Amino acid sequence: MKTVAFRKDVQEQLERIQQADIVVGIPSFNNARTIGHVVRAIQAGIAKYFPDRKCVLVNSDGGSVDDTLEIVRRTSIEDYASIHLHHRVEPMFKIATPYSGIPGKGSAFRTIFEVAEALDAKVCVVVDSDLRSITPEWIELLVKPVLEDGYDYAAPLYHRHKYDGTITNSIVYPLTRALYGKRVRQPIGGDFGFSGKLAKFYLTKDVWQTDVARFGIDIWMTTTAIANRYKVTQSFLGAKIHDAKDPSADLSAMLYQVVGATFELMETYDDIWKPVRGSEPVTTFGFEYTVGLEQVNVNTGRMLNIFREGLKNLSKIWTDILGAGDFGEVERLGALQDRNFRFPPGLWTRVIYDYAITFHKKKLPKEHLIKSLTPLYLGRTASFIMEVEQMGQEEVEGEIEKLCTEFEYNKEYLVTSWK
Amino acid sequence: MTDFLNLILEPLQEVFAKFRTFMPNLLAMLVILSMGILAARVLRAVLVRFLMAIKFDSWSDRMGVTTLLRKGDLWAKPSLALGAIFFWSLIILVLMTGLSALKVHAIDQLVEQFFLYLPRVFSAVLILIIGYVFAGFVSRAVLIAAVNSGYHYAKLLAEALRLLLTILILAMVLEQLQVAPGIVLAAFSIVFGGIVIALAISFGVAGIDAAKRMIERETAEKHAKDTKDDIEHL
Repeated sequence: MKTVAFRKDVQEQLERIQQADIVVGIPSFNNARTIGHVVRAIQAGIAKYFPDRKCVLVNSDGGSVDDTLEIVRRTSIEDYASIHLHHRVEPMFKIATPYSGIPGKGSAFRTIFEVAEALDAKVCVVVDSDLRSITPEWIELLVKPVLEDGYDYAAPLYHRHKYDGTITNSIVYPLTRALYGKRVRQPIGGDFGFSGKLAKFYLTKDVWQTDVARFGIDIWMTTTAIANRYKVTQSFLGAKIHDAKDPSADLSAMLYQVVGATFELMETYDDIWKPVRGSEPVTTFGFEYTVGLEQVNVNTGRMLNIFREGLKNLSKIWTDILGAGDFGEVERLGALQDRNFRFPPGLWTRVIYDYAITFHKKKLPKEHLIKSLTPLYLGRTASFIMEVEQMGQEEVEGEIEKLCTEFEYNKEYLVTSWK
Repeated sequence: MTDFLNLILEPLQEVFAKFRTFMPNLLAMLVILSMGILAARVLRAVLVRFLMAIKFDSWSDRMGVTTLLRKGDLWAKPSLALGAIFFWSLIILVLMTGLSALKVHAIDQLVEQFFLYLPRVFSAVLILIIGYVFAGFVSRAVLIAAVNSGYHYAKLLAEALRLLLTILILAMVLEQLQVAPGIVLAAFSIVFGGIVIALAISFGVAGIDAAKRMIERETAEKHAKDTKDDIEHL
C-alpha cells in the first residue's frame, strides 16, 4: 500500500516526537472562525483527563486560504487554572500540515492515520473543525473507551434537532443497522475515537482514490470496523452544533458520496451482511441528558416540488429501478396534497433496497443512479418532517426505530434479490 | 475453305485459351468462397459462444444496448446480433477476396475501392456507437441535474440536448462516409442555425406569453427557495 509522503518539516517533527499515546486529528478547510475553539477544547480535554499521556494534535488541512493553519499553531490555553487545572500538564505537540491526494475529508483523515502509525499511537481521535459545541469531555469520551476499556472504535452519539441528519436517520443508520446488526446510531457522525491498531488496518485498504477520500470516509470507517469484527461502542457527546453550513453544498453530490460509499461497502462485505438477521445494541458511554437545540427552518413545499418534478421527468429511470408495482405506489404519492403527503416507511425501505440492488447489478452509471434518488429522498424527508412536527425527541426516535424495524423486516427481500 | 474454318475456329480457340487461363481463377474463387463461408460460420459460432460465456447479453441489458436494438425493431439476442454482423462482414470480405482471385481488371478496381472505403465505414460505425452512448449519458445527466435543481422543463432541456447531439453525430458520420459532404455540411449548418433562430423567435416573439409564464414561474420558485432552509442532511 502506497503511503503519504510527509513534508520535510513534518518528517522532522515526527522524528523529534518519536512516539505518542494519543493522536487527535482535525481535518480542515477554511475554518479559521471555529478551529481555535476546537483546538482549545482538545487541549483542555487532554490536560484535564490525560495529563500524563504524550499527545499530538494533527491538523490536516485542504489548502485553506484563511488563517486556519496559523490559528492552529498559535492557539493554546493561557490559563489552565480557569478550567480548574492545577496539576502538571505534559506539553502538547502540534503538527499542522496540508494533506495530499483528492481534496476531501477522507484524504485529510489518511494523513492523520499515517501520523498515528508513524508515532505508534495507542489511540487516535478525529473531530470536525467547524464544531461549536465541542467540550473537553468529548476527548475523554472518545479516548477512554479505547484506551481503558479495550474497544477499538468509539462512534459519537449526539442529540440533534429532529429535522437534522436526515441522510443518517432515513438511509445510513437503518441500512447499516439492518445489514451488519449493530445499532450504531450515528455511523457518519464525523467525530470518532479508534485504536492505533485500527488506524493501521485502515491504511492497508486501497480506497484513497474513491469517494471514501471525500464524504464517504465516515461510513467507511464505521462499516470497516464493524464488518471486520473490531470492538465497537458509542459515546454520548451532547449536542452537535456546527458552524453555519456552506449554502452552495450540493445535496445530490453529498447523497452520491455517502450512499455510494455505503453501497460500495455492501459489495465488499456481502458475505458478512447476508447471514445477519435483526440487530443488537452497542454499549453506550457517557451520561445522556436533554439539550436545548437551535431552531431549524425547513421548506417542505420546495422538497415536495422537487419530488413531483422527479415523478414527472424520471419516471422511466424510477420504473427500471423500482419495478412497476412500487413505482405505482410512488406515483400515487405524487397526487396527494402537500398537507396529506406521507411516504410510508415500508415503501421507503423497498426504494433503498431496490437502489442497492440496481447499484449491485450495475444497470446504470453509479452517479446517475444515486443522484436520481434525490427527489425520492426529499419526498421522504418532507413526509418525515410533517409527521414529526408536533413530536418530542423521544417520539421522533420512536419513528426512526419503526423505520429501522422495517429495514430489518424487509432484509430477506434484499438478500434474495442480491445475485 | 480452310481460311473460313480458321476464321471460325480461331476465336473459339482464343475463347478456349482464355477460359483455360480463367478456369483456375474461377476454381480459386469458388474454393475461397466455400472455405470462407465455412470459416465464417465456424468463427460466428465461436464468437457467439464466447459472448455467451462472458454474459454479453446481460451486459448489453445493463448498458442499454438491448433497448437500442429493440428500438430498431431488432429482436434477436445482442450476442446473436453481433454474431450475425460479424458473419456478414466476413462474408463480404470473403466475397471481395474471391472476386479479386478472378484477376479481372474491372473487378480488381472495384475490390480495391471497397477496401480503401472500409476504414471510413469502421470509423463511421464507431462514431455512431460512441455518439449514441455519449448523447444518452449527457442527456440523462442533464435531466437528473435539472430535476434535482427543481427546474420545470428538465425533460425538454434533456431531449433538446439529445436531439442536438444526435444531429451533430449523424453529420459527423455522413461526413466520415463522404456522402455528399458539401450537402451534409450545408444541411447541418442550416438545421443547427435554424434551431437556434427558431428558439430565439419562439422565445422572443411567438412565445412571449409562454416565456413570461416561465419567467414568472421560475421567479415564484426562486422566492420559494429563498424561504430559509437550515436543515442539515448529513
